[in-house]
Amino acid sequence: MKELKELKKIEKYVDQCMKCGFCTYFCPVYQEERVETSVARGKNYLVKLALKGEQEFTDELGKILSKCLLCKRCVVNCPAKSQIDRVVVGARAQMVNEKGLGAIKNFVFRKVMADRKRFTRYLKLAKAFQWLLPRTEGNIRHLPDFLKALGAGRNIPELAKTFLRDMVKPAYRPEGVKEPVMRVGFFMGCATDFIYPEIGLKLIDFLVKRNVEVIVPKEQNCCGAAIYFSGDFQTGRLLADMNADAFRDVDLIVTACATCSSTLKEYEKYLPESEDQRKRYEDFSKKVKDSMEFIIDVLKVDPKELKVREEFKGKTVTWHDPCHLVRYQDIKDQPRNILKNLEGIKYVEMPNADLCCGMGGSFSVYYYDLSKKIAKKKTEGIKATGADVVVTACPGCMINLIDNLLHNKMPQRVYHILELVE
Amino acid sequence: MEKHVIEKIEKIVGKENVLKSYEERKCYSFDARAQGAIPDLVVFPLSSFHVSEVLRIANEYKFPVVPRGQGSGVTGGAVPTSGGVVMVFTKMNRIKEIDKENLIAIVEPGVITYDLQEEVKKYGLFYPPDPASHRYSTIGGNVAECAGGPNSLKYGVTRDYVLGLEVVLPTGEIMRTGVRTMKGVVGYDLTRLFVGSEGTLCVITEITLKLIPLPESKATILAFFREVEDAAVCVSKIIAERIVPAVMEFMDKASIICIERANPIGVPENTGALLLIEVDGDRASVRSQVEKIVSVLKEKGVSEFRVTYDPIEAENLWLARRTLSQATYNLNPIKIAEDVVVPRSKIPVLIRKLEELSGRLGIPILSFGHAGDGNFHVSIMIKDEPQDFKKAEEAVREIFRETLRLKGTISGEHGIGILKADYIDMELSQEALSVMAKIKKLFDPNNILNPGKIFPKHILSG
Ligand SMILES: Cc1cc2nc3c(=O)[nH]c(=O)nc-3n(C[C@H](O)[C@H](O)[C@H](O)COP(=O)(O)OP(=O)(O)OC[C@H]3O[C@@H](n4cnc5c(N)ncnc54)[C@H](O)[C@@H]3O)c2cc1C
Ligand code: SF4
Ligand code: SF4
Repeated sequence: MKELKELKKIEKYVDQCMKCGFCTYFCPVYQEERVETSVARGKNYLVKLALKGEQEFTDELGKILSKCLLCKRCVVNCPAKSQIDRVVVGARAQMVNEKGLGAIKNFVFRKVMADRKRFTRYLKLAKAFQWLLPRTEGNIRHLPDFLKALGAGRNIPELAKTFLRDMVKPAYRPEGVKEPVMRVGFFMGCATDFIYPEIGLKLIDFLVKRNVEVIVPKEQNCCGAAIYFSGDFQTGRLLADMNADAFRDVDLIVTACATCSSTLKEYEKYLPESEDQRKRYEDFSKKVKDSMEFIIDVLKVDPKELKVREEFKGKTVTWHDPCHLVRYQDIKDQPRNILKNLEGIKYVEMPNADLCCGMGGSFSVYYYDLSKKIAKKKTEGIKATGADVVVTACPGCMINLIDNLLHNKMPQRVYHILELVE
Repeated sequence: MEKHVIEKIEKIVGKENVLKSYEERKCYSFDARAQGAIPDLVVFPLSSFHVSEVLRIANEYKFPVVPRGQGSGVTGGAVPTSGGVVMVFTKMNRIKEIDKENLIAIVEPGVITYDLQEEVKKYGLFYPPDPASHRYSTIGGNVAECAGGPNSLKYGVTRDYVLGLEVVLPTGEIMRTGVRTMKGVVGYDLTRLFVGSEGTLCVITEITLKLIPLPESKATILAFFREVEDAAVCVSKIIAERIVPAVMEFMDKASIICIERANPIGVPENTGALLLIEVDGDRASVRSQVEKIVSVLKEKGVSEFRVTYDPIEAENLWLARRTLSQATYNLNPIKIAEDVVVPRSKIPVLIRKLEELSGRLGIPILSFGHAGDGNFHVSIMIKDEPQDFKKAEEAVREIFRETLRLKGTISGEHGIGILKADYIDMELSQEALSVMAKIKKLFDPNNILNPGKIFPKHILSG
C-alpha cells in the first residue's frame, strides 16, 4: 500500500466525527449547495475511506477537498469537537504528496487561464509578487493562492504605488523616551504589503505613539496560509523557516492581518517534520499576537482613551469577524470593546457577524460564483445594520468585502479597524 | 444504472440536481448510524412532479428509490440496501405558508425543524416537536420517523401536529391526505398511516402542520438523587400533583459519570440519578409549578437541586444533557443505541435491569432520556471486536425482552430502518406483520420504495 504519511497524522481527528450531521446547519458552503460533499461530515467520511485504502486520491476528491472555506464554523459547533480544518488540510497535503501540486491546482489553472482577460490581470499581479517565490521555483506555479484569489475577482484592488516593504524603516524607536515599554517585531503580510500599506504604517504609528519600539525584519516573507492550506507543506516549511529566522531576535511579533497571525500561530500544527522543527515553530508561534489582542490584552490600551479620526465622526460602524480571528484565535471581544467605547461613532452589531465573507483563500478562485453567494449573506447582514462603514481586522476579508459591496452596488466603505482611530 | 435512464432523470430534475460521481454517491451511503450500499444516483427533486416522474421511471426499470432528508436518522432508514436512487429533499425546503389566524404552517419536506420553529416564533407561535436533532433534521424526516423529543410528555410527538400531507405514491400518483382544519373524519386516516412509515409507503412532498401559541415563560430545574428509585418516585409524584412539565429528562449513574469525566458540571458525590425538569406557561403558573415541584423534590429525598428562570442560565443546566450523547464515545468507539419505552412506573425496574446486564456482560450500558414518557435512550458502548458485538447483541435482546415484559415498546421515536428489522417480530404478532406486509404490497406492488426496511426479508417475500 502507498504511504499515507500525511493522512496518518490526522487519523485521530478523522475518527472523531460521529456523523450526526449537525455541521450542515453551520457550514456556509452546505447552506448554499445542500449536498453532503460540501460539508464536514461528507468530507470526513471520504478521508476516512482514504485512510482505510478504500478511496483513491482522484481529481474528484481533490475538488471536494478544495470546496471548503476552512472557516471552522463546523468545528466550533461540532458536538464531537471534530476538527475538519485539520482533516481537510492534512488530506490536501496527502493529495499533493501523491499527485504533486498539480492535482488541485490544475483545476484552477484551467479555469483561470482559460479566461484571457482574467489571466492578464492575474499576470500583472503575479509579476508584482515575483519576489515571493522561493528562489528555486522559477514560475508562477507557486504563487500564493491568495493572489490567485485576487486575480479571479471582478473588482481586484489596485496594487499600491509603493509597496510597504519599500517604505518602512528597519526599526522605529519612540521619540523622547529613554526606554520603550516594549519591543516588537512587525509582520506585514502580503495584502498589507502590496495593497494596503497604509494599514501597516498605521499599526507602526499606533504602537510607536504608545512607546513601543517596532522592528521590521527585512527577511520576512509571506505567512504561507494559502500555500500550506492547499496542501503544499514543502513550500509552507520554507516560508515558516524564513519567518522564524527573520524574527529570531524579538520576543513578540505583531501583525494587523488576522489570517497572518492565525497562520503564524499554527505552523506547529501542520508543518513540523522533526521534533527540532516542532520546537522551533512552537517557540515562534508563541511570540505571535494579532494586533487586536496585542493592543487590548498585552499593551492594555484603554479603549476609552482612543480617539476617532475626524472623517469617521458621526458615522455608523459595524464589525465583521474574520474566521481567522473569531474562530482560529477566539478574538471577538477586543475589537468590540474598542468600537463600543469609541466616542463619536455609532456601533451596530451586524446579524451573523461571524459568518465567513466567502473568501476562503483560494476557495474564491475555484468557486467564484459560490463565493459570491456566500458573501451575499454577509452583505445582507451589513445592509440590515444601516451602517456607513464596515470595519474588520483582516485585509483578506477587506478585499472580498469591497468586491462584494461593489458587486451589490452598496455604498458602504470598508476599513481596517485601526484606520478608525488616531 | 443505465446511461439512458440517468439521462431521463436528468431531463426531469435538471443536471444540476443529480449527483453521479462515485465520491458524491458514497456520501449518501450512510446516515448517522448505519452504513448501507452505494446508490447509483443521487437525485434532488424540487417538486412533487419531479418525485412522481422519477418514481414512474423506477417502476418501469425496477430500481429502488430511497427518500432521504438530512440523513440524521439512526436506524438506516435513509440508506440504500441495494443501489438505486437516493432521493434527497434538502433542496425542497420552502416554508410555503404560515397561517396566523388558523394556526397552521404548510411546508416542503426539506425544511429544517429548527428553522420552522424560529420562523413561527416570530408570530408568537410554537411548533413543539423537539428531537435533539432539530437543527439538522428535516420535517419530512421527522414525519417519516414520527420524531419526538424531551417535550413530548406535555406536547406530544410529530404525529400530533400533522394535519395533512401531500404524498407521491410509489407508483407515481400524487395524492392529498387529511385536512387543513383541526378536525376531520372523512374516510380512513391515511395521514396517520403515513406518519412513521419510514419512507416505505409514500414520498412526502408537502406537510400541513398544526401550530400552538408560544408559552410566555419557562423555568428549568436540575435535581440530583442518590438512588434511581428516588428520582422515579419524584417523577410519579410530580405528575400525581397534576403538573405536566414540558420536559422531564433522566440520566442514570453511568451517564453522569461519563459526563463528569468529559465535561464536569459539579455533580454532588454519590449521585445515582439526575432529573432535568422544565415547566412552561404564563408567568404565574410557571412560578406555582416550580414551587410545587420543589416541595415534591424536598419531600422525596433530592440531594441537591438548582432552579432558574433565565434562558441563558438554563442553557448551562442543559449542557450535561446536550453533551452526553457525544461524551459516551469516550467510553468506547462504537455505540449501539436503543430507544425503548416503558410505562413510567416501571422505570426503576428497567434501570436496575440495565445495571445488572452491564455488570454481567462487562460492557458499559448507559441510559438517559425522557423520564416523563418512559422513553429511554440506552447506549451500549463497545469496542470494534467480534466478541463485543456478540455481547451487545445479547444485551439488546435482553433489553427488548425486559421492555416487552414491562408492557413497553422497543422503539419510541427512532424507528426500525435496517438496524432493528431483525427484532420487529419480538413485539409484533405474525398477524400484525402480515397485515403490514399486505399494506406495503398494496401501495408498492413492485417493492421499489425504500426496500429492505422495517420488515425482515422473509415477511415481504412470504
Ligand atoms: C445526535 C442525534 C440525536 C437525535 N435525537 C433524536 C430525538 O431526540 N428524537 C428523535 O425522534 N430522533 C432523534 N434523532 C434521529 C433523527 O434525527 C430523526 O429520526 C429525524 O427525524 C431524521 O430526520 P432526517 O431529515 O435526518 O431524515 P433521514 O435520516 O434522512 O431519513 C429518516 C427516514 O425518513 C425517510 N424520509 C425522509 N424524508 C422523507 C420524505 N420526504 N418522504 C418520505 N420519507 C422520507 C427516510 O427514507 C428514512 O426512512 C437523533 C439523531 C441524532 C444523530
Ligand atoms: S463533523 Fe461534527 S457536527 Fe459534523 S457530522 Fe461529524 S460529529 Fe457531527
Ligand atoms: S470549515 Fe467551513 S466550509 Fe469547511 S466544512 Fe467546515 S463549515 Fe463548511
